[in-house]
Amino acid sequence: MRKSSLIASMGIVALTLAGCQATESADSGGSTNTDTDTSASAEVTGDIRVWINGGDTPDEAREYLISTFEEMHPGSTLTIEQQDWGGLVEKLTTSMSGSDSPDLVEIGNTWAPGFTASGAFTDLSASFDELGGADLLPGFVEVGTYDGVFYAPPYYAGSRLIFYSKSDYEAAGLSVPTTLEEYVENAETLNAELGTSGVYFPGKDWYNALPYVWENGGEVAVWADGSWDAQLSSDASIAGLELVKRAMDSSNAAKDGDEAESWVAYCEGGHSMLSAPSWAAGLLVPRDDAPCERSADDLGVFALPGASGGAAQVFAGGSNLAIPKNSQNQELALSAMKIMLSPEFQTIMGNAGLVPALTSLGSTLGTGEIPEAVAAAAAASKLTPASPQWADVEAAGILQDLFVKIATGEDIATAAADADAAMEAILNG
Amino acid sequence: MATRFKRLKLVLGILAGLVIFVMSVFPVYWMLNTAFTPNGYTRRSEPLLYPALFTWENFQTVLFDEEQTPFWPALMNSLSVTLITVVFALLFAFLSALALARFKFMGRKTMIVVLLFIQMIPGEAMIVSLYRQLDSWQLLNSVIGLSLVYVATVLPFTIWMLRGFVVGVPEELEEAAMIDGCTRMQAFRKVTFPLLAPGLVATGVFGFIQAWNEFLLALVVNSRPEAMTLPVWLRTYQQVTNETDWAAIMAGSTLMTLPVLIFFIIVQSRMTSGLVAGAVKG
Amino acid sequence: MSRGVAMTSQPASKRGRISWFLLFPTLAILAVVIGWPLINLILLSFQEFGRAQIFGAPPEFVGLGNYQKILGDEAFWRVMQRSVIFAAVNVVATMTLGTLVAILMQHMVKPMRYVVQAGLLVAWAMPQLTAVIVWGWMFNTQYGVLNYLITEITGVDFIGHSWLSNPLSFFAVATVIITWQSVPFVALTIYAGLTQIPKEMVEAALLDGASGWQRFWQLTAPLLRPIFTIVTILQIIWDLRVFTQIYALQGLGGLREETSTLGVYIYLTSLGSGEFGMGGAIAVIMVVVMAVISVYYVRRTLKDMDS
Repeated sequence: MRKSSLIASMGIVALTLAGCQATESADSGGSTNTDTDTSASAEVTGDIRVWINGGDTPDEAREYLISTFEEMHPGSTLTIEQQDWGGLVEKLTTSMSGSDSPDLVEIGNTWAPGFTASGAFTDLSASFDELGGADLLPGFVEVGTYDGVFYAPPYYAGSRLIFYSKSDYEAAGLSVPTTLEEYVENAETLNAELGTSGVYFPGKDWYNALPYVWENGGEVAVWADGSWDAQLSSDASIAGLELVKRAMDSSNAAKDGDEAESWVAYCEGGHSMLSAPSWAAGLLVPRDDAPCERSADDLGVFALPGASGGAAQVFAGGSNLAIPKNSQNQELALSAMKIMLSPEFQTIMGNAGLVPALTSLGSTLGTGEIPEAVAAAAAASKLTPASPQWADVEAAGILQDLFVKIATGEDIATAAADADAAMEAILNG
Repeated sequence: MATRFKRLKLVLGILAGLVIFVMSVFPVYWMLNTAFTPNGYTRRSEPLLYPALFTWENFQTVLFDEEQTPFWPALMNSLSVTLITVVFALLFAFLSALALARFKFMGRKTMIVVLLFIQMIPGEAMIVSLYRQLDSWQLLNSVIGLSLVYVATVLPFTIWMLRGFVVGVPEELEEAAMIDGCTRMQAFRKVTFPLLAPGLVATGVFGFIQAWNEFLLALVVNSRPEAMTLPVWLRTYQQVTNETDWAAIMAGSTLMTLPVLIFFIIVQSRMTSGLVAGAVKG
Repeated sequence: MSRGVAMTSQPASKRGRISWFLLFPTLAILAVVIGWPLINLILLSFQEFGRAQIFGAPPEFVGLGNYQKILGDEAFWRVMQRSVIFAAVNVVATMTLGTLVAILMQHMVKPMRYVVQAGLLVAWAMPQLTAVIVWGWMFNTQYGVLNYLITEITGVDFIGHSWLSNPLSFFAVATVIITWQSVPFVALTIYAGLTQIPKEMVEAALLDGASGWQRFWQLTAPLLRPIFTIVTILQIIWDLRVFTQIYALQGLGGLREETSTLGVYIYLTSLGSGEFGMGGAIAVIMVVVMAVISVYYVRRTLKDMDS
């Protein structure tokens, strides 16, 4: 066989088998049927996959979702696939791009602009009212809308609160702080007097570090004159960062660790204060399957105090929901989404300490120390820059790296300038 | 004098051997040690140097995890993918190695350079293209799809290795056998093949390790829980427990390493016996 | 040495045909699984291809735009420098240790050799991910056994020492892990090569009164050279391409920005930032660099083949 003809035939084989891959992807979107005529949804059956991330959604809510869905759609099944927040941006990018896409995904609110802007999701404008309309958390609706098209309704909002050990406070002779400065001083005192971490503050924990910047008048990045101006190296921000350094110095947490499973550290007793999402309250006390050195009575909570009293602007945690454009089960996915945004489901979320997506259900958080703190914190919460490229900033770990540098004692001004440069490159690039 | 030198050599040899052995094996020992210790005792600054509190609970935790990361499907997936990959890769590689080592033909050198060149391509950049290609063939989350990719990934190197072994068996031996009256086939079977056996085994072992351990492609291509291979499973499990249950993670690591070790042990005797059988003298 | 009777007795065309026939399955698979994505990759490197394009938007041709951006990006050069140095250190360490071990194995008594072989196989068998996790656990900041042993043995308090936050230390750990896993392969391959040296040649050399050193440099090394060369090229390629160990280690600690090598950098650029065009360009540059580095060895190998 002549070499050239062999090569030619192999080339043909390769091209044939590779198929019209280039053209296929453009229309491999499955049905983008977003007609809200889903009252007749029982006709279509399918097995849908819902991606839920991390530990936030309580078991009761998951069971409710599955049983309600399968009741409404006999013959169909709903499977919840648990995802980990780490490396999820990459996973979503590949999985949602082809025919193997999941049907309903939970995305961090900070990622929503990144994905909505790339056309990853199905247009849900027509279903806006059915999903909750004006009752949906406005900030989240904004983040889930791109170019006037509504893609991703809110799922829940979370705010971080400061949990503390009452006995440690007593031992060090402290009272609940009313300003941010006092809070940091408390942490330093606890560390000096008791040897515990004043506050459990691992190096990569940027969520809990940003409020310090905001409360001192600094910003992460601002949109001005058509481009993003990263401002972590402004004087105001640096003041905030220096406060972060003091807080981190009072902490025995790993300088390059991240904030996941922070409740385990708290339960081991080595840390006096902890900043965690409100739903972690249930994890900071002894449980059947997990012992805890701290008792339930010992647990106190308050909203992070602002620089001049009141509640600080904390990081507005929470997620949105969205239907990938390439999902093969658009109608069923929409139905599942409606269940997740129904008053019944959202009430379960509220009872578990998560701020419901439907503002009218705010009362489900209940009364007491925690709900009050949650309400105060949520009212003041703030979001990261609403740029489609923000998800990339997170994926690149820029803020994590910045705070690890601060934790390990590097020069704050230089580190902040580096972070700014890196952020601007991504946001404007 | 000679005997003293010999004695010294013996002792040094043993010492060196022991050092190498300990350094090779210590991490594995530590993995096992932690796996058999109750988790509460692993999170201390003074670790137990041997499993004083021997327990099976970590393995139970891992093996019977009902939640999200089932072990058994991952094991089956890894086994199937790896075995298919090894079989086909060895077969194709052997044929190719023969061609490249024994025959002089036009384009041989180009072929060799191409094989080397392919190994330089970073898989990370091709991930998306591969993903979409497999998607268009409906081969995502399947054993066949992943095996196909693995065979391609593993081939260049296995061909290299086998070629080296084939070259190492001088053709003169075959020719000598043929002069003695064997046909080419017989000569090949009686003389060359036995000498190649350790090479085939070593290459097969290598292919096995590659396929068993491969992480990134499996992570992206077989992401569904039921389609995961063991490395992806371990990583998922590590993330889920988020490094607070190190004992269980070590137990999981042990489980993942075990099949490879067993395979190695089975194969090692073949390898050494192959080496002992040695060269057949004309 | 004549290549033998058998070879030249067949006409060139028949030889060619048989060869290509034997090579066909390999070529088919490689063309389909690697060829097509590779072409795609090269095309991608000339396009502006972001997340939007993944989901259907048409890509824009930017010619050498991506390349210009990357070659002008300081971060890229730092990653490149890091990767090259890291690979160099690892290759030297692995090859030296591996050869040493192989020679030592030759001089050991059989039982000891088996013990060493078993140890090496165990280290080699360990999956890369597992190795990182286990070593990472041994180097763990708060509960790692290494910190504990150092404290006990030297009296210096190392508990709480983070091995991963300092980039240099991070790479030291990575080097230990990678070398630990690579040495067995090198050692066993070279050892196998050593055993293939015909006994007569060794005996002849001994009879001639050659010393250990002379035997090594004049007899062993030249015969081993082909194997040596191949193994070295492969180590270079693998160590430059390293992904899993660094990625997994970064998950355990350390600064992404300061510890990413080329493999991880490409992954983060493509899938993390969604800049596939740039990722593609980096990959192409990487292959070119590797090709340039290994040119010497490739030439050698081709020459060896002709000897």
